[in-house]
Amino acid sequence: MKKINTIRYLTIAFLLFLLTGCWSSHEIEELGLTFAMGIDKGKETELEKKFDEMGGNYPKKDRITMIYQYVNEQAAGSKSTGGSTDQKSYINVYGTGDSLQQINSEVALRQDRPVFSPHLKVIVIAAELLRTYSLAELLDQPLRDNEIRPSSMVIVTRGRARDTLELKETGEMPAFRLRKIVENEYKAKKILPPVTLAKLTGKMRSGTSYLLQNVIGTDGEVKYAGAAAINGKTNKLIGYLDEHDLEGVMWITGMGIGGTVKSYDPEEKKVTAFGVETIKSDIKPIVKGNRLSFEVNVKSDGYLAENWSTNEKAFDNKFLEKVKKTTEKTVKKTMEDITKKMKTEYKADLAGFGNELRIKHPRLWEKLKKNWDETFTDIPITFHVQITIKEYGTVGDQ
Amino acid sequence: MMVSQQDKITVSQTVIVITNFLLGTGILTLPRTSVEAVKTPDVWLSVAFGGLIALLAGFIMVKLSMEYPEKTLYQYSRDIIGKWPGGLFSLLLICYFLATSSFQVRSVTEVMGFYLLEDTPLWAMAMVFLWSGIYLIIGGINPIARLYEIIFPITVLIFLVVIFMSASIFETDNLRPVLGKGIVPVMQGVKTTSFAYTGIEVLLIIVPFMRKPEQALKATLMGISFPIIFYMITVIMVIGALSVDGVTSWNWPTIDLMRSFEMPGLIFERFESMLLVIWIMQIFSNFTISYFAAAIGLSQLLKRRMEPILFGLLPVIYLIAMTPKNIDQLFQMGDLIGNSAIFLVGLIPLMLLVISKVRRRKFEKN
Repeated sequence: MKKINTIRYLTIAFLLFLLTGCWSSHEIEELGLTFAMGIDKGKETELEKKFDEMGGNYPKKDRITMIYQYVNEQAAGSKSTGGSTDQKSYINVYGTGDSLQQINSEVALRQDRPVFSPHLKVIVIAAELLRTYSLAELLDQPLRDNEIRPSSMVIVTRGRARDTLELKETGEMPAFRLRKIVENEYKAKKILPPVTLAKLTGKMRSGTSYLLQNVIGTDGEVKYAGAAAINGKTNKLIGYLDEHDLEGVMWITGMGIGGTVKSYDPEEKKVTAFGVETIKSDIKPIVKGNRLSFEVNVKSDGYLAENWSTNEKAFDNKFLEKVKKTTEKTVKKTMEDITKKMKTEYKADLAGFGNELRIKHPRLWEKLKKNWDETFTDIPITFHVQITIKEYGTVGDQ
Repeated sequence: MMVSQQDKITVSQTVIVITNFLLGTGILTLPRTSVEAVKTPDVWLSVAFGGLIALLAGFIMVKLSMEYPEKTLYQYSRDIIGKWPGGLFSLLLICYFLATSSFQVRSVTEVMGFYLLEDTPLWAMAMVFLWSGIYLIIGGINPIARLYEIIFPITVLIFLVVIFMSASIFETDNLRPVLGKGIVPVMQGVKTTSFAYTGIEVLLIIVPFMRKPEQALKATLMGISFPIIFYMITVIMVIGALSVDGVTSWNWPTIDLMRSFEMPGLIFERFESMLLVIWIMQIFSNFTISYFAAAIGLSQLLKRRMEPILFGLLPVIYLIAMTPKNIDQLFQMGDLIGNSAIFLVGLIPLMLLVISKVRRRKFEKN
């Protein structure tokens, strides 16, 4: 009996060892939470140059400069306790080299908290870098890394990635702002649906050209500004689309809700604005014998949002009819402008015409997909726009 | 060794055992392997056709087992084709089950090591798995079936909730056009997709454990239908989100689907751990059934008690599991097992069924 009791007590004592289960845990403040990553053209920062002079160098070619955006745990902590907020809530760490992984591990020589990226939100890539290196090369490490989630968003910048990761305000994370602007698509039509690493792998391997959201940053402010066109075969940069161009693409593809169409009254040259509520776009490939053409039918519902010509009455159906006509014209022109640009300037299909052909005429697509971008430049495309003004807000007669 | 009356399972338990055994590594890799074979968005059709083939194979196996409803394959194969060939076939099948269970152990440790417990050594994870497995199996088929009864509803619930959450990144265009290149690519994929249903061989062993063996066919039908539905949902959601071009680049596409979206505002933002939880439970059931099937085979072949054999097999499974040097070899091992399954569970049972039918007829004539 006694023996059994001893064994029992011993077992209980041994159970204590199980309490050490969390010995390798890390406190959240001790993690180098990285919310954004930037990839710039390789140029060593002043600090790095000084480090080099003092012998802190290793064999490398300065091809890219990485920016890691850490959360500043001191500022983040003080915000909740009501302390001083003059500190920025982020720390940007720069590293130059030629391998993402190596630059990443170099950071661990400088910071007590090494890069910890399971919470990465955005990757910003300097578009000019995409003239020399392909997206597939630059993003290979992030895609391979099991720490980085494929839900991280990829955007490019026409300027330097480091500028888009700076904010004037002290209490805000640039990474979060970049990530959240996407959600304003209901308000502005110039925002592409977010391209995450998960979606990007499909685009990179599909062989058809595509768009990536462009963002610009200067003086501690950022702006979503058009898009960058990427060649589907090489995954390198073709060129930039400004906001007007991007809007045209969005109309053609019927992506996005919301946004405004501003047009000028043909007689009085006064501004009228149409608020977009829904867009339905139908890209119809038409095959007649050997000839392929596209017909784009866009239907949009919305409301009269603004009207500067004061002597017109919205109660008057004729006036609404006129606004409808001018709006239709504006939208059509927007689409035609970008189509012309796609054919002559970028020489690539960026609005998903090929995708529609793939779905509706898969066999023809098999033949054409190899040289689609070149074929596309000669294909006639017609546009039809149908706008419905459902209401004119709270003011009928000024 | 005959099966004791106590140690029998009901029809619904049989359904659950079959379902649990069929759902396995396939959930995580099927979208990739099938797209590699089909190369069009019609993969889900291949998955359905693969399921039909599995149903056919299941039908043959049940018919065969019904010839000898009291015996497992290890016992009646001797009656059909003689002592030595029957013994040899049983031995092959035992090896197959051992390889399967080792493959499961290794897959689960690889995935856990990659996504969950980065610095934990493989042996530590394998050890937990193997020991809890043997603890379960020692009790016989009844505790096994009861455990699966607990696992199964949890799996269904979490799986459906989690996979439909990915609807936010689902794009119908990725699944179109349907049959754009005709039916040929779909058929080319059927061989690959039917691999996902390996596991039906458990029918060769489980029928004598049923309280009502005459309902084996019904149980098979239901047991295979669940995985067909699960696999089709998986493939459709994964391809809808990651596209045909993208899906082939991920090692474990279904986990990466879960990692591809976040749901801010809910209590949890990320759901891959949920998927991993149910997947680990599924792999655990896969591993235990094949372990059990191998052990019962050896015990019936050698006419010995099962417990010592169970303990004896444990290190063997561990050693086989640790043989692949890297993930490529692991995938190769999976292919090898799948290929051998075609012969062991596809062709041989059919052969046995024909022989036994012919013999019976001769016997009746005489």
